[in-house]
Amino acid sequence: MSGLRDNWRIILLVVLALGSTVTLLVPGATVATGDNATAQPDGANASAAGITNLQYGIQLDGGSRIRAPIVGTTAENVGIQPVGAGDETNETIAIEDELVSQLGVDPVDVNARAPNEPNADGTVEVYSENVTQAELAAALQEQGYDVSESDVRDGVTRATRDEMVEVIDEKLSQSALSGGSVQSAQSATGQNFVVIEAPGRDINELRSIVASRGIVRVYGGYAADNGTFVRQQIVSREDIDGIGNARKVDGRQGYQVSVTIRDDAVDQFLEGVRATGLDEPNTARGAISCEYNAENPNQSSGKCLIASLNNEVVTAKGVSQGLVGLFADGSFANDPTFVIETNTREEARNIELSLKAGQPLPAPLDFQNAQTTSLEPALADQFKTNSLITGIIAVLAVSIAVYLRYGDPRVAVPMIVTALSEVLLLLGFVSAIQFPLDLSHIAGFIAVIGTGVDDLIIIADEILQREGVATGRVFQNRFRKAFWVIGAAAATTIIAMSPLTVLGLGDLTGFAIITIVGVLIGVLITRPAYGDILRRLVLDEEERSE
Amino acid sequence: MNAFEVPEVDYDQYTNRQLAAVPLAVLALAILILVGWSLFVSGSVASPGAPVSPGIDFTGGSELTVVTSMSQSEVGDAFQTEPISVQQAAEGAEADVVGEGENQYIVRFQSFDTESLRDQAQSADMQLLSSSSTSATFGGDNQLTAVVGVLIAFAGMSAIVFALFRSFVPSIAVVVSAFSDIVIPLAAMNVLGIELSLGTVAALLMLIGYSVDSDILLNNHILRRSGSFYESVHRAMETGVTMTITSLSAMAVMAVVASFFNIQLMASIGTVLVIGLAADLMNTYMLNLSLLRWYKFEGVNR
Repeated sequence: MSGLRDNWRIILLVVLALGSTVTLLVPGATVATGDNATAQPDGANASAAGITNLQYGIQLDGGSRIRAPIVGTTAENVGIQPVGAGDETNETIAIEDELVSQLGVDPVDVNARAPNEPNADGTVEVYSENVTQAELAAALQEQGYDVSESDVRDGVTRATRDEMVEVIDEKLSQSALSGGSVQSAQSATGQNFVVIEAPGRDINELRSIVASRGIVRVYGGYAADNGTFVRQQIVSREDIDGIGNARKVDGRQGYQVSVTIRDDAVDQFLEGVRATGLDEPNTARGAISCEYNAENPNQSSGKCLIASLNNEVVTAKGVSQGLVGLFADGSFANDPTFVIETNTREEARNIELSLKAGQPLPAPLDFQNAQTTSLEPALADQFKTNSLITGIIAVLAVSIAVYLRYGDPRVAVPMIVTALSEVLLLLGFVSAIQFPLDLSHIAGFIAVIGTGVDDLIIIADEILQREGVATGRVFQNRFRKAFWVIGAAAATTIIAMSPLTVLGLGDLTGFAIITIVGVLIGVLITRPAYGDILRRLVLDEEERSE
Repeated sequence: MNAFEVPEVDYDQYTNRQLAAVPLAVLALAILILVGWSLFVSGSVASPGAPVSPGIDFTGGSELTVVTSMSQSEVGDAFQTEPISVQQAAEGAEADVVGEGENQYIVRFQSFDTESLRDQAQSADMQLLSSSSTSATFGGDNQLTAVVGVLIAFAGMSAIVFALFRSFVPSIAVVVSAFSDIVIPLAAMNVLGIELSLGTVAALLMLIGYSVDSDILLNNHILRRSGSFYESVHRAMETGVTMTITSLSAMAVMAVVASFFNIQLMASIGTVLVIGLAADLMNTYMLNLSLLRWYKFEGVNR
């Protein structure tokens, strides 16, 4: 029993080392849930997933990352009457409509929010690069709101940022980019941005998904008497209930996405159809033909069902005989589904994904001021292997230095083993929380080995002084002395690294977290255990010499 | 029995002034280099520039890794956008991504329009392995964040040291040594042409942690242990020099191996730490020690 009590530090270390090995190597042993657990796209991660439960980041597994601010200008302290959470009021709608005409922006690019609490103020956001802070302030003043230029700032509200993250997340999961992730972050200067990651994917692929706002609109178009081609919106995203998959049109060229109108929006839809004359055939066969001129829409002829994505016309086609019939007699309402036809598969797919994302991206991302990283899996693999080799060689260098210094393998070997067990525990920890490893983290591991061995040297030198360690009290005393230095050094390292964990410095954040966790594991678990190992060693020796 | 012993230095031979002169001279030289850099290299006397050369992490810019059979100068010419630098990866370092007769290059640009740069690389038939870009605004932000981060880290370290020793001279000795440990590698980076990157900032922060270890050890042995001053110094040195040499060898190996493998982040961390740890040996056992000796034999009695 006394053996157990005296050696509890060693036992704890062994238990934790075993636990880490299990977490690291046994499939399914990690506590990960949700995205990360299933974040293994076939192929890209297969080799990594094969041996350990470690997660790798972009630099060690390949993939892309975009950090981009959100385009927008926000006016705060706008005296809008309060309402219940997030609801639109007549007042906010009026502000938005007025701003659209004042600033000449798209309706989706203005957002007025009424406050949720009685004495709070509302906000007005404009998501356009072309509107300056002064212009927004002036426009609101014109509407009679007491807004000075100092109430207007760049950026968007927290609510919009949260929406952005939600919509991007939905877009990523709808696209084929499995394992993609998005979060919002803030730099030290207070600038907000979103961080989007897609393991194993090309940057262009990722950019094309998040660059598109995903605003889908369907219009009816017809040549008016005054010689212009009139376009009237008949469907927006809110009116749509079901979205089919993009697929090839049977028997003809082209692709299609089927769209089902919500039951309570059907009447309004049919009204729009009638207003634009899509229920009256213009061909002998009873269909509607359309000659849309993309260069100069006013020279279009016929009548068209037009679909636009992000305000750009993607497709403008006639309507089939069957559908015109359903529109005409109103029986469309029984099965309110029609298809949007496109020429290319990509167009159909873009419309499908934009619709399936639920709502369009509230604001555009500012790619002009973004930070991007993209690594081919082949290069990432090269980094993975090479940084492993680098790490092993560094450990060998430390081992040789330690061996040369102490000459006694009974001191040096446990020292190296203890230092390595520190790495093992840290690896167990990162795989348990499914922390994705990147190059900077490897540097953190090396820092941990470095400080770890430093501390073990302090312990060894303190305990192995010339006089014996016959009694527990002497050992305790020396150990405590050594620990004072170790604890002080650890405290400074942790203090020095902690600002990095909160400052949004990208790569350095992970480095700092690894270093801090490593130092904590070392000071609390492995380094004390090494003291016990040394004591056993010294006691054994004394017993033998007696 | 031991293959390397920490030599016992006969400190009695030197006065405190002599001991402190060397590290202070080196520190002065380092500061001179940084100021000179700011006044004459990166800026002018009228408008001083940065004391170090910030890399694209801080200025904004792009970096592409490409594989091609072209020569180094051909790679540079293949882009319409003029690159800042074209660097060839060490031969033999590449794994299976590089075929026969091909080379891996790292090309850096001032522009951060990766979309167009990637297109240019692809239309020149280069195989793209990686691209990264930082916009000027992000870079500026990073720069500010890095400076703030290092300052907070340094201030935090100083506060802890003062709290631990609770007397002015020993604490300030540690803080001055740590300051010098950071300034010397910064100046050395200018001389060696290493740019300031996120990796080197990490290395500077690691230095704060590493350098304080041996200083705390020395102070602890001298101030809190029984035994004569020189006995304490020798004991502390035995442990402290071993520690620093061990770390130094690990970092030197890492710097060499990582630059062979072209892993820049690890290579620059390694290089900066090697210089910093070497500076730490000097600062701890000459500057810190002379201040402590003065404090122990003269300062305490005042």
